[in-house]
This record gives sequence, structure tokens and C-alpha cells, in this order.
Amino acid sequence: MKDPDHFSREDAAAAERVTVRPWVPRTFAAILRDTWREFLDAKVLYLLLLAIALLFGAALTGRIEPQPGGRQYLDIAARAMAADLDGIDIATQSMGDVAGRLNGSVYAISAAEPLAADLPAGHWKATLTRTFVPLVGAPESGEEITARFGRIADGQLWTITEILETGTDWARKIGSQTWEMTVAPGRDLRLLWPHRFTLFGDSVELAGTKGAPLGLEVLILQKLLATGLGGTILLLVSVAVTAAFVPNMVRKGTLELLLVRPIPRWQLLVFKYVGALLLVAGLLGILVLAVWLITGILADVWSPGVLLALPSLLVFFALLLSVSVLTGIITRSVISAMLVTVAYWAILFIAGQMNNVAVESRIREANVGKMRPTSIAEAIRGRQPRREDGLQPGRRPFYQTTIGRITEGVYAVLPHTEDLDNLVDRQLMRDFAVAGPFRALMESASFSWEKGLGLTFLHTFAYLAIACTIFSRRDP
Amino acid sequence: MVVSVKQLEKRYGPHRALGGVSLDVEPATLFGLLGQNGAGKTTLIKILLGLVVPTAGEAALLGQPVGTFSARREVGYLPEDHRLPEYHTSTSLLDLYGALQGIPRRQRRRRAAELLDLLGLAGREKLRIRGYSKGMKQRLGLAQALLHSPRVLFLDEPTDGVDPVGRKEIRDLLLEERRRGVTVFINSHLLGEVEQLCDRVAILRKGELMVTGTVADLTRQKASWLVAFDRGVPVSFRFPGATIETVEGGSRLRVSLAPIEGPGAEGAEAIDTFLAAASAAGLRLRHLERERATLEDLYLAIASGGETP
Repeated sequence: MKDPDHFSREDAAAAERVTVRPWVPRTFAAILRDTWREFLDAKVLYLLLLAIALLFGAALTGRIEPQPGGRQYLDIAARAMAADLDGIDIATQSMGDVAGRLNGSVYAISAAEPLAADLPAGHWKATLTRTFVPLVGAPESGEEITARFGRIADGQLWTITEILETGTDWARKIGSQTWEMTVAPGRDLRLLWPHRFTLFGDSVELAGTKGAPLGLEVLILQKLLATGLGGTILLLVSVAVTAAFVPNMVRKGTLELLLVRPIPRWQLLVFKYVGALLLVAGLLGILVLAVWLITGILADVWSPGVLLALPSLLVFFALLLSVSVLTGIITRSVISAMLVTVAYWAILFIAGQMNNVAVESRIREANVGKMRPTSIAEAIRGRQPRREDGLQPGRRPFYQTTIGRITEGVYAVLPHTEDLDNLVDRQLMRDFAVAGPFRALMESASFSWEKGLGLTFLHTFAYLAIACTIFSRRDP
Repeated sequence: MVVSVKQLEKRYGPHRALGGVSLDVEPATLFGLLGQNGAGKTTLIKILLGLVVPTAGEAALLGQPVGTFSARREVGYLPEDHRLPEYHTSTSLLDLYGALQGIPRRQRRRRAAELLDLLGLAGREKLRIRGYSKGMKQRLGLAQALLHSPRVLFLDEPTDGVDPVGRKEIRDLLLEERRRGVTVFINSHLLGEVEQLCDRVAILRKGELMVTGTVADLTRQKASWLVAFDRGVPVSFRFPGATIETVEGGSRLRVSLAPIEGPGAEGAEAIDTFLAAASAAGLRLRHLERERATLEDLYLAIASGGETP
């Protein structure tokens, strides 16, 4: 030990030592690869991809076909000309809302004949009649008719390509005009047009024999596969797989091997968190993209609104993962991490649903006596708009009850993940011209991206910060 | 000093894991840390690695306070009952630890291949750790400790579960590391191995350092000899200051010669006089061997609550 050339040996050893430089991107990349490996090891990825492939396959056996129904849309376009519909939202407002905006004329289609098939892409030859009171209204020109026919608010059901006034002069003088016109489908006609939806050839009928508006079908399909059932299953599986990450990492005998490295402890935790998040982002991306492609291919509707489900679901999962990480750090148990996370999810879900009820009760109360929203498509299908009923005497709206107040109070401090879901629904309903009471709820101003994202991020960050603090201070 | 520890204390609530340990270790030493389970060996090592914060006292590693990143870059650690993540292969695991240690990709790949070859794990790169035997895991654990060519190694039971040939290879490897100037701390219950391998040892009991010294000093020669003559010793034979007892089924005599102080030549003179007397009595010498205290003797004496012999 008192070897005289001892120091020169040590110097020689130092010279041949490998270069050691700490570098954050390298650390991050290494933990990312580690997370990826651990994730692959769970074998769930293959199952998920298989499930998505099956879903894709099953959906692609489906067929969405338009039913004959052009005449009723010509009728609605004609009738709608009797009112001043500027500013009316085709999607949210009902035929009832049109009352009071009448301009004194009555329009009707007296004859109509499709030039080819009676399909949403088909052109029609139609005869439009207008009846007006001569002293009150003036005759209208073909240009005026062309400008107004088929337009409802900013929606476009039909466009006139040719128009010729055919009525006689004396008829015009007593308040009757007639036009022969050729009509082409407008931009929004397809979404409202009734379509049959069948799966596996013709064996499963999903929208009844009369069909449903295409927009509604696409909405339900996208909601079911992306934010609804599909997203829920994917997130559940992700929670189950990622719940093991932190407890495995902080296991005795494994943890020490990580903590001796010359990097701060929080990096181990945060990078693992981000790694898991990126993996799940990839999965969610595949799912949402698959849904977008499926509905695009099936229905030829390529509206990108469903892509909003990706950030919405991902932000939600970021929150769940932070809860899972915190529980994993505290209990070091996979089962606990999983159960606490799922329980937290359940609490958020219940609170969100109850808050929706409270918001709905506020909307209802504000609308007592007014017409309930019905979509134009529904009106065409014969559903009559109804007035919003008031509550029975002695009954208070939900938001004024004790439970309602507690609900709103609790929800105010919880992450607003339900809002994020509602906001995606709102976008989808707008895109697909779907309306009804549910749409009115979704359109509520109490849901906003700012509040939804802000509160969710705040909670996520807080859970992570607590986890990092505990992790940094605890003796292994 | 590679390691310098002064009055180091660690308490977990009312439990005292370490109670005022002071220790200095010089470079290029194979240092054996002995003690029963719960004696504080692992706590001491964890403090030196910066994993555990001491309650009181000072600890420095390579002249720097323990736990700093620059100190951590110089240490390799093989924990007891380590559990390497089972979803990794040997190469992917070394790649992960190498990257966390800060080694650039090309260097850590080269170094990993080198170490796997050295530790007899080459050719199994595709196998997940899940499929490893205990001995293979131990070798891989050693590889990760050596990966960044640290100047100090802390090894908890490094040969646990390894076959005898593997143990020999690991011992040779550690001797080679010491030759290169590396200081190696070994926690082991295999006293024979520690005695064979280590330059210095320390024995802990209930959080206190009972004894520390070179292995040569601690296993010093005793003042007794094992002797065999060509025939039985006559009853009339007497030697002043010697106690003679029959051992090993009567084939050997233990001759204790007193008083003898410390190791060295004094005892040899006494045995010379004894043998001369025996020869004069007509006894012919067939066997002569000086008795030594083994590390085990010392360890058991301390473990049983005795004071430092």
C-alpha cells in the first residue's frame, strides 16, 4: 500500500477511464428508451394495436348509404324562405324559433323531380310558388330567389343553378309567382340527409330502416370510438400498464442502482413520467387517427373536429398519470397506484356528470317558456318543437338544492376534465350540424378550454411536484 | 484518503443504525466490511454513496463531501439483493446505466461489450434478465458497477450465488481493479473469502466500529504450536511455561508457550528451547505448525459480544 509508484498507477488508471459527462438530453433519451422497453414488455401494445386493427376492420365492413329524401329538403328550403333566417344557427335553433320572423310570404314546392337519383348529390328540377299579399309585398326577381333559396343562416342546403319565372302576369298581380328551377345540393345537405348505416354487409342495421342524418351518425360513431368507449378502454389499459412503472422503479434493489447515478432524483421521476406520457400520446394518436380515417372512409366526412379528442384525452391521462406516480411513490405498490388512479377517475367522472346536471338545470330555468332546441333535421323527420316546462311548484332546480350546491362547489376546485370532453363534443356537434337539448348543454359558456386546461394542468403539476419532493427527500 | 469518515451517526427514529463511526481508507485498498445483519454495514455504504443522509458526523469520498455529483461519478455500487429490471437485456441495461452515468453512446457500447466479455456474459446479449440465473445476475450487477471505471467500488456480497470458478474469476477481477488503483469495499459474510482477498477489514457491531486493521494484523500468529513427535510424550517430560494438551484425536499436541507479546520472533525462540528439550528427552519431531487466529475467530468473538481480542 505504501507502494512508491502507487500514484503513477492511479494516474494511468485515470487516463484510461472513460469520459463521463452528464448531459440532460442523454439522460432523457435513456429513460425514454427504458420506459419504452418496459411498456413493450407488458405485451399490451400488441393487444391494443390488434384491437384497433379489429375495430378498423369491423368498421370497414360497414356501409353508410343515403336514403331517398330530397323532396322534404326542397320543402323545408321553400318553407324557410317565409322567414328572415339571418343569424339563425342551423344546428341549434328550431323551426319554432323561426316564428315571429315571418316576412308575409308563403313559399312552397308544387312539383319536384330528380334529374338523376334521389340522392344528396343529385340535382332536381322543381317548381317553386310564392304567395304574397300584393299591397304588402312586392314581386320578387329570380336573382332574389336564387340568393335566398336553400340558405338557412350560414348553412347551405341547396343552390339554384337555373331559374325561370313561368307564372302569368295577372297571377303575379294578385300575389302569386311561379318559378321553374334547377337545383344543386348545397354544402350542408349531406350532413342532414337521412342515411342507412349497416355493418357486416346488410346484417346489422344501426340507424333504423328510415336512416338518420349522416352528421348524427358520424358524431355517434366518432364519439363512441374516440372519446367514449374506445378512449376509455385505451386509457384504462394505459393506467394499468403505467401504474407499474414507478413502483417497479422505486423497488428496493432497483432504486439504489438508479440513485447512485450523478443525476438529480427528480429527473428520474419526471423523465419517466414524460416517457410514459409520450407512449400513451402515441397510442391515443393511433386511435384518434384511426377513428378519423374510419369515419372518413365510411361516410366521406373528413371534418377534423375529432382530432381534438387527442389533446383532450392526453391532458386527462397526464392528470391520471400524475396521480398514479404520486401514489406509486408513496405506497410503492402497483395495485394501490392502479386502484387509487381508477378511483380518482371515477370521482372526476361522477363530479363531472353531476356538474353537467347542475349546468343543465341552470339552462333549463333560464329557458322556461321558450322553445326547446330541435335540429332542423329533426323537424324534417316530424319531431315537433316543445316548450321548456317550468318546474312544479315547490320544487327547486338542481343547482339550488344542497346536493347541487355541493356539486358545484366541489367541481369548482377539481380538475375540469369533464369540460374538456364536453368541448370536444361541442366541436363535433357544430361540425355535424347536430342539435337538441344535449347540444344546448355542450354550448354552455361555463365550459371553456382555458378553465378546463388550466385547472387540469394545475392539479397535474401539483401532484408531480409533491411526488418529486417526497422522492428527493426519502432515504432508500 | 479515498474515504474519510468522522463520528458518523445515523438514526431512524429511536433506532440507531450507526453510532459515531470513524474510518479512513487509503487508495488502492481491498477493504472488507464485516458485521452481522443489522450491524450498520449497508447504512455506512449508503451514506458514502450519498443515498442516505447522516444524522451527524462527516463523510468524505475522494476529498469531496459524499453525495455530490462529482463524487457519484467516481463510485460504482452493487447493492445487496439487487433487482435488475427484468425487461432489459444485458446490453440494454448497461446502455441505460451508462447513459445515466453520462457516458457517450459509442464509449458505453464499447465498454459494455468489454465488460460482458470479461465477466463471461458475452453471447447472451439477446436474453432478457428474466431468464438469468442468480450467478449471471450477479455478474451483470458487477458489470454495471464497473461500467464507468469508477475509482471506488462498493460491493455488497459480490460473489453471492456465483459458482466456485466464477468466484475465483471475480476475485481476480477485483485484484486487477486494485492493481489499477481502485479502492474496493466488500460487504461479505464469506469470511474465508474476505480473509483471502482483502487488505484491510473493519468489523461493525450494532452500529459501532469494533475493530479495524490489516488482515495480516488481525489474523496474527498465536503463541501456540501444533506439534507431533514420533511417539508419545513421556509423562515425565516437563517444560517450564508450556501447557501441553492433546488435540486432533491424539495425533497432535498443542503447545502453548507463555508469555509472548505480539507477533514476531520472541515466540520462535521459546519454541526452539522447547524443541531442544524434547529432543533431549529422545523425542523426534514429525510435524510443527504455528497456530493462527482466523478472521472467523475474531468475528465470532466480536459477534458473541466479546471485546476486541
